[in-house]
Amino acid sequence: MPARIRCPAARGLGAAMGPSSTIASRSATLLWPATLAASTTTARQYASMVESAFAGMSTLRLPDDYVPPTKPPTARPSDVRKSQLLRTYTSLLRSTPLILIFQHSNLTATEWSAIRRELNIALANVSPPGTDAAEIASKVQLQVIRTRIFDVALKLVEFYDPSKVASTTASTASGKKVKVTYNHDLSKAAYEAVQAVTKGDTPLPATSRYAELSPLMVGPVALLTLPAVSPDHLAAALSVLSPSPPAFPAPSRRKSPGYYDPIAQSGLQKLMLIGGRIEGKVFDIDGVRWVGGIKGGLDSLRAQLVGMLQNAGLGLTSVLEGAGKSLWLTMESRKVMMEEAEKPAVEEAEKVVEVEKE
Amino acid sequence: MITRFITDVSTRFNPFSARSKSARLFLSFLPPTARSSGMTITTKLLARTSTEPSSLTVKFKDGKELNFDSDAMGIKSLIEEVDRHSRILQKQFDLNE
Repeated sequence: MPARIRCPAARGLGAAMGPSSTIASRSATLLWPATLAASTTTARQYASMVESAFAGMSTLRLPDDYVPPTKPPTARPSDVRKSQLLRTYTSLLRSTPLILIFQHSNLTATEWSAIRRELNIALANVSPPGTDAAEIASKVQLQVIRTRIFDVALKLVEFYDPSKVASTTASTASGKKVKVTYNHDLSKAAYEAVQAVTKGDTPLPATSRYAELSPLMVGPVALLTLPAVSPDHLAAALSVLSPSPPAFPAPSRRKSPGYYDPIAQSGLQKLMLIGGRIEGKVFDIDGVRWVGGIKGGLDSLRAQLVGMLQNAGLGLTSVLEGAGKSLWLTMESRKVMMEEAEKPAVEEAEKVVEVEKE
Repeated sequence: MITRFITDVSTRFNPFSARSKSARLFLSFLPPTARSSGMTITTKLLARTSTEPSSLTVKFKDGKELNFDSDAMGIKSLIEEVDRHSRILQKQFDLNE
């Protein structure tokens, strides 16, 4: 089978073997010994001869984009390659503050599209278009994940810190030594960091987020990702995907008839909320509902906090003031008392003096 | 798994327990048309802190009810047990046909 090369490697090879550069680059010589044969005008080629011809060269190098014919690049589309999925998931976990985890049991494609349609309608109704909230609604995604790779991504995000990887020296194509840091998520350093924690029978630390989330990573799993912690949007999503009547009622039959479409309903019955990861913390279904039930979103929480701190400040100042005030009051009253106690004595003394004068 | 003779599946599990794996996988083995073909599936999720064991109850068309301790059983043995009764019903169904 011919190698399926559709990357710049093919062009790189072509350029290296072009007629314009006879033996310009060393790699070309290695790849294409026939050019050498033409120059030496021998009819047959032997490996030993080629080697002897190369003996004079100090360093033999392949071009950087050389693709060995036995190891062709993958023919799989880039977005479903495992390496690419892992990168996607780690960046998702690092950047997304609010993730809801669902189990989906054999949903069909039409059911998925019906659910996504209803979800988008519900999220769009949360706020008028043009605001920040509308921006959040447009970025909400419901996606099916590859569970095992997501599991690896969870480990990487928790146990691997790319900033702690030491840099190494490597030589460039031109032979120059440069310092490089291989700290990407597919690097050896990442692999070793994860293995150091998870290998063997030693239990993971109890505080580990991975240990909390890994039991959920079983069977078919889908994620709902929100780009910001917005309880309003969360409540809208919950009322569509896992309605629980008093707090998160399902949309009414009159407002959204599409929700009661048999396809959408049968899809929703198979979708089951099992947990969530909010701001790096793991929540169960009740915890997720609690977050969704915060009225007015984060702003109202902040307002509450500010109000609380202000009240506490007022109380504190009044308490501190009160102590000083009461001390001052007691001292003042004591002073008045003593003055009054002195006054009659003085008056009596004056009276005595007056009497003596008389 | 033969699911055409099952009329009712009910599960209770705590998804944050590693032992709920087989119960969760059993749900994913039911076909997409399970509910529309008359099977009732009820799932009760336990709280994260609960230590109650997960359970799985399967009822068949002939009225037989199987209770499984899905904490202790793997998904393979669950399916094996369910299929064991389903095959008996399948045989009867084929003979009556």
